Amino acid sequence: MTVDDPVGTADRLRAGVAERIAGELAGAAVPVGDVYLGWGAALEAATCPARYRAQGAQGWAFPGWSPPLAAGACGRAALAHHMARADLAGRPATLPTPLDAIRAWMRSLRTQAEAGARAAPPVERSSVGDWIAETWAAGDSATLAAVAATAGRWLAGFIRVLGWPLPTQLTLLNAPGPVAVPAPSWRPDKASPVTVACGADGRIGKVTGAGGFVLVVHRVTTGGDGALRDRAAFEAAAGSLAIGVVPASVLVTAGDTGERVTAPVDHQLLALGANRIVAVVTQRAIAAERGFDPADATPSPACRRCDHLADCPPGQAWMAAAGRWRGGLPVIPPVRAGL
Amino acid sequence: MVEALGDVLAGPLHPPSPEGIAALRAELDDAARAATVVGGWSQDEPLRLSKHLVTGLLRCPRRVLGEEQGTSDDVVVGWMVDAAAKLGTVSPRRAVTVDAAVAFLTALGDSTVTDHLADLGPEAARLKTDAAVRIDRLVASGLTVLDPAWWPRVEDPVRVALAAGAVTVAGRIDVLLGGAPTGRPVVIVEVKGGRWYDGMRGDGHLYALMVALRDGEAPASAVTIVTDGTTHVEPIRPALLQHAAERLDEAMGIAARLAAGEPPAMHPGAHCQHCPVRPDCPVGRAWRPGTADDAS
Repeated sequence: MTVDDPVGTADRLRAGVAERIAGELAGAAVPVGDVYLGWGAALEAATCPARYRAQGAQGWAFPGWSPPLAAGACGRAALAHHMARADLAGRPATLPTPLDAIRAWMRSLRTQAEAGARAAPPVERSSVGDWIAETWAAGDSATLAAVAATAGRWLAGFIRVLGWPLPTQLTLLNAPGPVAVPAPSWRPDKASPVTVACGADGRIGKVTGAGGFVLVVHRVTTGGDGALRDRAAFEAAAGSLAIGVVPASVLVTAGDTGERVTAPVDHQLLALGANRIVAVVTQRAIAAERGFDPADATPSPACRRCDHLADCPPGQAWMAAAGRWRGGLPVIPPVRAGL
Repeated sequence: MVEALGDVLAGPLHPPSPEGIAALRAELDDAARAATVVGGWSQDEPLRLSKHLVTGLLRCPRRVLGEEQGTSDDVVVGWMVDAAAKLGTVSPRRAVTVDAAVAFLTALGDSTVTDHLADLGPEAARLKTDAAVRIDRLVASGLTVLDPAWWPRVEDPVRVALAAGAVTVAGRIDVLLGGAPTGRPVVIVEVKGGRWYDGMRGDGHLYALMVALRDGEAPASAVTIVTDGTTHVEPIRPALLQHAAERLDEAMGIAARLAAGEPPAMHPGAHCQHCPVRPDCPVGRAWRPGTADDAS
């Protein structure tokens, strides 16, 4: 059943999630520090709670920018900058070439950093923009090239799957600039250590009390991103919490498969998303008390690349098991290992 | 074929019509469903194929089922060359050096090469010299002077799900050019750090098939740039897509029988020389260069 009261439902969702989060925090044996709660954290907590808990303060909070993490943020910022320049010039935006659009945005950031407020046209301030300007000032060309690679891939995939011209009434989210709006995020209350971050890349349609708008979530790759319905549920709930209105649907696109799947938002989807959000806080509260506890590990192929494998007997046992499987095929251990 | 990448892009490119791509997907889907019945995979526990696995299953199933091996010097040199190609593509104005390529990899969060070089100590210089020679040849291929209008993107991910996700085929194309919405045909570029041999073509064919299935539009060409100076250009014809689909079908069949418990076949050949499973493989141990199976 779809949501027929988008504002009231979002209000009730906020109240319910805030209450559940407060309960988890109150039940923690020791006070819980900052929790940055995006899809990445939700996926980690759901797939292997032990690994999520092992991340430590740096992993639970916003981990800081890096080229892989900044791909979407820089891609969106560059696209927003490209659209804004066309807007300022009073002409429709031309199809951007990804690498040129990213370079143009980076150059504007550098110009602005050098010229201060006199820079024209001004570039909207953003956390990722500040990081790029600092990286440029530090002469770290390897990182800038890596950003160009990851953000270029994001931008190309986003436009390829959504099509050009972009859908009418598309507003880029999580991007700076006059044609975009800042990151939609929500805190249960001002004192809460929890920040729920919606990872939607765009919104189609205006936010009105009647709902009706669509959140757009672009996944560069789908292999490690969890189930599509889970992702849609998380972003629908996080978006509802942040915006205060429940979207009509979530459009999930994928660069690697070319998929465009619309998930209508109903009460069931919101409940699933809310559970994912609260589950992260539950694990964070347990982590405050017990830290990394391999007893709760969920061994999987991800163990192969897990930083905590050396301290995780279940993961080691899974890796060493005779007859274990790798990507759907059995693995034959070396004969010599058994001698 | 002696042709630089620039010549390929400047010339006429006639991709095959999209006709038949849907039929190809249907055939592969049927094959994947049949293999899934034998292999027992599901959406939650799928068969995950890559270009290496497809080639490996067809070449020697015993090797495919072996443990993953640590990083070798040859592999590390290949990664440095690969990174240099990608760096040159996204930063055409920079000098592409070994150090720049390694720094690029590290910035992307992959410290394997840095760690391997550090472990080697002074011996690392030999590897870096080897990589530098290969990178110089790569730069001469024209990969670093691409017109941005081709939308060059590196490590472009492509993934095809078959049999409702019980079989997935995934990969990252070294450099992908053109395609919607650029108005230009798709050109696949694969970079290889070793010496050219005919088997290298298979990767480009598989990626051409996967891009065709993803986009509903077949690439015009697959270009393999090898650091021995070879640039192999392969116009993508419908027959090549069909051939790639047949190889994928066969690989799924082999994988299904292995998953069902059939002992892996051992196919000896030149690949035995560097095979980490060789000590455990009587057929591989018996193989010597110059025998009839040497051609692989």
